Amino acid sequence: MVFGLAYHFLHDRAVAEELAQEVFLELYRHFGTIESPQHLVFWLRKVTSRRCIDHTRRRAFWPKLRLDEVPEPASPARLADPMLSRALARLVASLPERAKLVVILRYQEDLDPVDIAQVLDMPVATVKSHLQRSLAMLRDKLARTIGEIAI
Amino acid sequence: MSYLEDDLRMALRRAEPSADFMDCVLARVNQPPPPEPSWWERLTVLLRPPRLQWVAACVILGVMVPAGVQYRKQQRMRAEGEKAKEQLMFAVRVAGNKLHRVQQKVLEMGRMETRL
Amino acid sequence: MKILLILAVCMLAGGLGRGQVVDLKHLDRLAAKASETADVTLDGSLLKLGAKFLSNDDPDQAKVKKLVAGLKGIYVRTFEFENEGEYLESDVASIRKQLQAPGWSRIVGVRSKKDGENAEVYLKTDGPDGGLAIICANPKELTVVSIVGKIDLDELSELGHLGVPKIELEKPKPPGKKDDD
Repeated sequence: MVFGLAYHFLHDRAVAEELAQEVFLELYRHFGTIESPQHLVFWLRKVTSRRCIDHTRRRAFWPKLRLDEVPEPASPARLADPMLSRALARLVASLPERAKLVVILRYQEDLDPVDIAQVLDMPVATVKSHLQRSLAMLRDKLARTIGEIAI
Repeated sequence: MSYLEDDLRMALRRAEPSADFMDCVLARVNQPPPPEPSWWERLTVLLRPPRLQWVAACVILGVMVPAGVQYRKQQRMRAEGEKAKEQLMFAVRVAGNKLHRVQQKVLEMGRMETRL
Repeated sequence: MKILLILAVCMLAGGLGRGQVVDLKHLDRLAAKASETADVTLDGSLLKLGAKFLSNDDPDQAKVKKLVAGLKGIYVRTFEFENEGEYLESDVASIRKQLQAPGWSRIVGVRSKKDGENAEVYLKTDGPDGGLAIICANPKELTVVSIVGKIDLDELSELGHLGVPKIELEKPKPPGKKDDD
């Protein structure tokens, strides 16, 4: 989960591993504060999210590719298409930081907006707005090639 | 549930770290923290003759630099290996995906022929 | 003149020696026109390195590890285009021509008028190394997969949940055997 979150956010395996290791080191230091298994999961998601954002802010020279600069994937298929998955993962990685985290927590971790709001210390309305806008952007990129996507 | 959301779940499914990830975490956890120098030790550093300090620095560098180079080499190997593994899994998935589509078409045609 | 002749023989011998590897270089120029490209070339030490990093604890990776143990190379070229007609029939024809060489058998060929997709599967059973080639071509996408090495089709079909289906492909009959009609 921790590595997956970092990997889909940073889209860099080596950096994601480094970040994930740091999260577990921090867990080791703060283990006494963990109250329950649920709290542990919540804590891991929260700390990983925070570290992901801290990382991108430290590396401000990263050339950020805007979503409209990312080439559109062509002819994705309904069957689990590895090419489509790769293109989608790239599109998600190019979203703005907070929106990216919201999308990853929603679709990797299957969290609902209330839980995402708690993890990211964000109002629920903001989470929903991020989700809506991100899906619209992603849908727009894909819909041009596969037609209407039903929601 | 939309196709886009299904595709996102597929694209963002949890990824696994490298096989020695836990070993790396445990190694970092078990590393003893560097001991805090006492005020006396801090003072003696200033009083120590510079030549001795240079010799000490060279000896330390002589050990650390090769170790650092070796570590970097290992890190590079690991990164290359992980990349090759990802490409391998991707290639097998693409081959499987295409074979599956061929199979579906063959089955579809078989069903159509049966109906005729 | 003699040197040129020797050079030509060497090049020819080199080409023949690598005959089991389907040459996909001519497809590289399509990358400039494609909106999405996948290019995987894994052979020799790189293939072994990738296989070494497959985890025995992960069931999918363990199966792939077993499958690729006998392989010498995996080559994938996938191109997705925004418009139709971005690649030529001759691009595909030159691959098919290579797969008409002795030792290769076309075991499945499917043509769909509905979506314009053509799909072919070839198997190499002759020679020291086996092989598998897949060509999938539709108006906006071209995928070629070439696998060099002994492939166990049953093992390949066991990887169904990775998207590799359980398929019962009829293995080409050795020459001389006839069907029972």
